[in-house]
Amino acid sequence: MTMDMVSAILVSGLVLGSVYALMASGLSLVWTTLGIFNFAHGSLMALGAYFAWTMSDAAGLNLWLGAGVAVAVAGMVGVGILIERTVIRPFYDDKDILLITVMTTLAVMIFLEKGIQLLWGARLKQLEPLAPGRVNLLGTTISAQETLIVVLAPLLLGGLWVFLRYSNIGRGIRAVGQNPAAAKLIGVDVSKLFILTFALSAALAGLTGILLGSVRFITPTFGAEPLVKALIIVIFGGLGSLSGTIAAAYIIGVVEAVLIFFVGIYWAPSMLFALLIAVLMLRPQGLFGKSVR
Amino acid sequence: MPASFNLKTLAIAAVLILGLLVPVVIEDTYIRHLFIIAFIYAIVAASWDLSLGYAGVFNFGHVAFFGVGVYTTALCAKLLGIDPWIAMLLGGAAASAAAAIVALPVVRLQGIYVVLVTFAFSQLVLQFVISQSQITGGTQGLVRVPTIELFGYNFLRDYKFGYYYVAFALLVISTLCLRYITRTDFGLSIRALRDNEDYSLARGIPIGLQRLKVLMASAFFAGIAGGFFAIYLRVASPEVFNFSTMALILSMVLVGGTSSIYGPVIAALVLTFISEGLANVNGLSEGRFMLVAVAMVLVLLFFPKGLISIIDRWPRGRGARRPD
Amino acid sequence: MTNPQRALEIENLYAGYDAFDVLNGMSLHVGASERVGLFGPNGHGKTTLLNAVSKLIRPRSGSVRFMGENLEQRSPQDIVAMGLVHVSQANRLFPDMEIMETLELAAYTPRARKQRKANLEHVLDLFPRLAERRRQEAKTLSGGERQMLSIGVGLMCAPRMLMLDEPTLGLSPKLKDELAAAIGKISAEGIPLLLIEQDIAFVLSLVDRMYLIDHGEITREVERGGAVDHEEIMDMYFGGHASS
Repeated sequence: MTMDMVSAILVSGLVLGSVYALMASGLSLVWTTLGIFNFAHGSLMALGAYFAWTMSDAAGLNLWLGAGVAVAVAGMVGVGILIERTVIRPFYDDKDILLITVMTTLAVMIFLEKGIQLLWGARLKQLEPLAPGRVNLLGTTISAQETLIVVLAPLLLGGLWVFLRYSNIGRGIRAVGQNPAAAKLIGVDVSKLFILTFALSAALAGLTGILLGSVRFITPTFGAEPLVKALIIVIFGGLGSLSGTIAAAYIIGVVEAVLIFFVGIYWAPSMLFALLIAVLMLRPQGLFGKSVR
Repeated sequence: MPASFNLKTLAIAAVLILGLLVPVVIEDTYIRHLFIIAFIYAIVAASWDLSLGYAGVFNFGHVAFFGVGVYTTALCAKLLGIDPWIAMLLGGAAASAAAAIVALPVVRLQGIYVVLVTFAFSQLVLQFVISQSQITGGTQGLVRVPTIELFGYNFLRDYKFGYYYVAFALLVISTLCLRYITRTDFGLSIRALRDNEDYSLARGIPIGLQRLKVLMASAFFAGIAGGFFAIYLRVASPEVFNFSTMALILSMVLVGGTSSIYGPVIAALVLTFISEGLANVNGLSEGRFMLVAVAMVLVLLFFPKGLISIIDRWPRGRGARRPD
Repeated sequence: MTNPQRALEIENLYAGYDAFDVLNGMSLHVGASERVGLFGPNGHGKTTLLNAVSKLIRPRSGSVRFMGENLEQRSPQDIVAMGLVHVSQANRLFPDMEIMETLELAAYTPRARKQRKANLEHVLDLFPRLAERRRQEAKTLSGGERQMLSIGVGLMCAPRMLMLDEPTLGLSPKLKDELAAAIGKISAEGIPLLLIEQDIAFVLSLVDRMYLIDHGEITREVERGGAVDHEEIMDMYFGGHASS
């Protein structure tokens, strides 16, 4: 194996890992705070990309892409709030909230997927890259857009981490996740932070979709594959902590790149799943996981 | 009380006779077709209820077990030339085997992790089927699957008369089996596990083993249904793994109410007709799944025990089945 | 009916969990700078009372007034913002958060935020041990330290009144004394106090007045230094078992 090959694998692993980290961190954030798992996360990603497409594409409103991104992210916040209100909020006091919201968010996934198909049609679409051209990264040439993803993902996630760690609201979000009753007793408006967290996660999903939407083709089921990868990541890394999820995302990204290189794109998912089962047999809580909530 | 027992027997007998009369009375091939599809979905929904409702195992890979049945039967019958009846059984067995693989990690996991692993598994099976296109036909699927034959009877030229009875028989047998399973000691123990894990553990119920068994049993019926689905439609296409299929069948379990077996069966019959009816409305062939999604949420919001629970409030002779 | 001299006024309060009431028409009050104790066996509604006042659970009927204002329409966060602070029993707080983070966060309402710096100094002064372990996560603290943090968190909320639920639960006598001293200092500043305790000597050392509670009702009110003494109370609740 030459250095070129190592570099190619590493770079493609980094690109995959960045996308997965952006996806999975939103899932993980919602899980640690609201205690629910959002199966609609993948379709939120697709919706974000379609929003941006409509805003920026010549066939749509033909705005500058930056404006499209801004409007799309704002739109995702709105959609996030709407989803939280309609299919999650009514069940907060239900003891079966976990199972029920799995089903309601599955329903949202179907709803969005089919809704997108009706609104935008099944034809493939693609966003203009935010960063055009090609770039040499570690001796491997990739598109500038992929480089942007690799650079932007750690920045966004770092920003998220700083927000959760140092801002009052961010700390409030963590507090709500760790002990909602105690959070109420210091004056935290728990339900407001639930909405905020969900909206934040939806915006993150939308942004991921926008970033990926100029690398891959956008389809109504555009988010399904990243969602499944994000599932594997959160199982693998445990849902407990954001840093664990992010670490697992990059590990899975690189492992997948290695598998694709050696066993090909068709066998890689099966191998990944086999690996996952092996990890779960040894550590039922995932590699970095803590106890189940 | 014997009086109510008789009433119940009478009701079951009436349903059976009605079911047997349908193809005699209804000559429309399309309506017969809808009944057959509804019976297949009913088996999948009722068997899902066994693991999800009765055992409380958060199994979200049930449609994948159905799909494993579809593909195993189609492949065995078409490529290996195995008799389709046997191939159907093999479909059930393969679904059980797949369930055993999933159960390997699942028996040690709790809550959301069970959902995630089973869900990821179902997506994996789909990707696997698509990727092995030289065998499975990839996204195009497998066509011209050989069909069944019974004492020289030709199922293909009778306007679905024969298929109807095969589907009906499969539904009746599987419903009886599922009901029987829930009434055995095994059925009681999985319910005990669902309702109070610690207590059941203290009573010495082997949790891992019971979950393995219940997943395998639940998958077996889904696999058989999948096998018949492939034999009947004569195709195996990756569409069976769709989220839409999953949502439709899940909505049947929800509308029917979990832990009842009969509920999902009835719901499957009703919802298949509604869903297929909507599919023929212009512009709703895909849009109907949005309605299914909305219906799922509405049922969870307003009838968490299923729409069938309304019937439950009617007076009954014998003590109510519901423990809570 | 409102009395401005009273910090907290509870009238005929019914509350409970699921279908049954734990509080059966409880009425009590706490004066403007009064320290009041609440004593009674477990399971008779002491914690339920505090949960109902701070709206962690919704009272079924009855009224609660704080500083003359009816709390019926108020949310838990409103109540904290008004300055009625509930330090709950055996609070795990936020297991993965460090002590300093927790204390800073606890000054969450706008009013508390303004006093954050001064209150933080005050808390660290009161509990030097928290200052020593400022970077430690709450889950790694001992029972006594967690109790100190819990009270510290309550103080960071800028309380106009404190409700403490068994602050000495499971602590050693030495730690109890330490906490008693701290609580004494807090109430000496004129903050009204409602204190729930199982340790009768501990309550009596800290309060001006005490209510005895039985099956969700106030059965008796005892003034400090009044007719009822320690043994009589023990006798009342525990009958012949008091001596064992």
